[in-house]
Amino acid sequence: MSGLSFSVFRKELKDHLRDRRSVLTSLMWPLIGPVVFMVMFNLLASWYRQDRPLALPVVGREHAPSLMAFLERYGAQLEAAPEDYESRIRAGSLDAVLVVPDDYAESYSAGRTAEVQLVVDSSRQSARQSVLRARRLLEAYAHMLGNQRLYARGVSPDLAIPVRVQEADLSTPERTAAGLLNMVPLFLVIAAFAGGMQVASDAMAGERERGSLEPLLLNPAPRSAVVTGKWLATVVMAVAAVLITVVAYMLVVRRVPLEDLGVKARFDAPAALGMAAAVLPLALAVSAVQVWVSTYARSFKEAQTYLSLLMVVPMLPGMVLALSPLQPKMWMFAVPVLGQEVLAGEVMRGEPLGALPFLIAGASSILLTVVSLAVTARLLSQERIVFGRG
Amino acid sequence: MIEARNLHKRFGKKVTAVEDVSFTAEDGVITGLLGPNGAGKTTTMRMLYTLVRPDRGTALVDGVDVVQRPQEARRALGVLPDARGLYPRLTAREHARYYGELHGLSGATLDKRVDELLDLLDMRDIADRRTEGFSQGQRVKVAMARALVHGPRNVLLDEPTNGLDVMSTRSVRTLLRRLKDEGRCVVFSSHVMQEVAALCDRIVVVAHGRVVADGTPDALRASTGKDSLEEAFVATIGTDQGLMQ
Repeated sequence: MSGLSFSVFRKELKDHLRDRRSVLTSLMWPLIGPVVFMVMFNLLASWYRQDRPLALPVVGREHAPSLMAFLERYGAQLEAAPEDYESRIRAGSLDAVLVVPDDYAESYSAGRTAEVQLVVDSSRQSARQSVLRARRLLEAYAHMLGNQRLYARGVSPDLAIPVRVQEADLSTPERTAAGLLNMVPLFLVIAAFAGGMQVASDAMAGERERGSLEPLLLNPAPRSAVVTGKWLATVVMAVAAVLITVVAYMLVVRRVPLEDLGVKARFDAPAALGMAAAVLPLALAVSAVQVWVSTYARSFKEAQTYLSLLMVVPMLPGMVLALSPLQPKMWMFAVPVLGQEVLAGEVMRGEPLGALPFLIAGASSILLTVVSLAVTARLLSQERIVFGRG
Repeated sequence: MIEARNLHKRFGKKVTAVEDVSFTAEDGVITGLLGPNGAGKTTTMRMLYTLVRPDRGTALVDGVDVVQRPQEARRALGVLPDARGLYPRLTAREHARYYGELHGLSGATLDKRVDELLDLLDMRDIADRRTEGFSQGQRVKVAMARALVHGPRNVLLDEPTNGLDVMSTRSVRTLLRRLKDEGRCVVFSSHVMQEVAALCDRIVVVAHGRVVADGTPDALRASTGKDSLEEAFVATIGTDQGLMQ
């Protein structure tokens, strides 16, 4: 029995590996994640770099000489704003522009609240840091003036601050990194889906479409051995895709200027092993489900369509987790796909987990595998599946 | 030896593919299953080679019941089914080896067996080429090689010469005679009368899912009182529709 599965497995793998184009497709997919990751991190890092002086174009500079002096003292490079500054902000070539209205000096001298305008485009991530710095400087200036006025009237500035808010940031460097690395588990799980897709569609739907399923089933090999062999070939490709993804991430993380973001990522060998241990059992289950789905499809094309749709399954929880990480609960580990995404995320965040979540996630994957394989083997004894449906 | 006993198969509620088919195919004899298109030949064959389960009746392959012990029956069968798709990225030899392995052969036995077959089917020149781009005749040879790799006692062929040119048809005929001389039980189905006439020792005529005649070509001629086989067939089936090539 195991010998027969192995024969089927060896044939499927040999057959698939000779199809260069589809092997490349299967293995290029997993590289998308790391490449996107590298590009995004480099961009982010360039936006966040603090050592750059704050360039702040100003309209009406002459109305507020003391404010300008303050800003320059604190490192802002002031310049005259161009005429079309609004469209330039929208286009992204300017981050923020300070507008000092004509009546600023009058209000200022009269001791009223003087207004300045900070023109920004809040939808632009890259401008966020500059805007924040400009606003902090302006607020600091306002504070300083307010304190001076209170002192002048013999009032302690503390009276005006009944409550002071102090933020205590508990996030460890690893946690901050994970916030940005949250896409990694999603891409790992997608790799488990993408790797075996080609083999799975060819092994079942393709086999029937080219008319080789009927002769194959004429052999005295049990259906379960045939299904197991085909499943194993799919697993090998899925596992290869996951491992390639993990290794690619490790290589990319080393080249990414994470320090500039003030984060320390945990993507060393133990973390990579932990993530592989989290996701690999899923590769077994995903492959089994893919073989099952492919058995239902009428043609190779149809199988590919179904299997592409199947890839949406990891995207939904993956996206949610990437945007707002959930507090992991035990039941989550038992849900295939969700469990692996949560698990890989926790490993990456450097949380101590213990073996139990891994065991729960692994067991649920294996259960799904066994059920899918059994159902597929049964399908293969149905005439409408073997000879195709009209 | 293959014995079909009152095979009956319906698809859905309305379509009765095989009404009642019984016949016996002896060892060392070529038995032809002749009938017009849609007579139920392919379904009958599929029931014999265990991929379709009869609603009633059964068949025995060397005494093994195909319904009760299909896996065992498959061991004793070599089949060229209606679908004879190949793997385009595998060579002819790899096809034969793969099927040999699935029949439990391995090592030197398998090597020897595959080499014998490549000689028998006269396909040494194409043995190590990938089957992509093979001609119809070459494809049938590969399909034959994988059907016969385990040396089955009983050989079932569904329309083996369909779509073949004269040369390929001749080599298929030679092969079938050879299998017969080796004492194997050979059953093949065809809708081409000349084919059956040229090869068969025994003819089972199937029409509308039933056996309408069963005997040697001579017996058929005698029973219908016609001189030519063609006339005899038309007389048995009641119409010449679907019988002509």
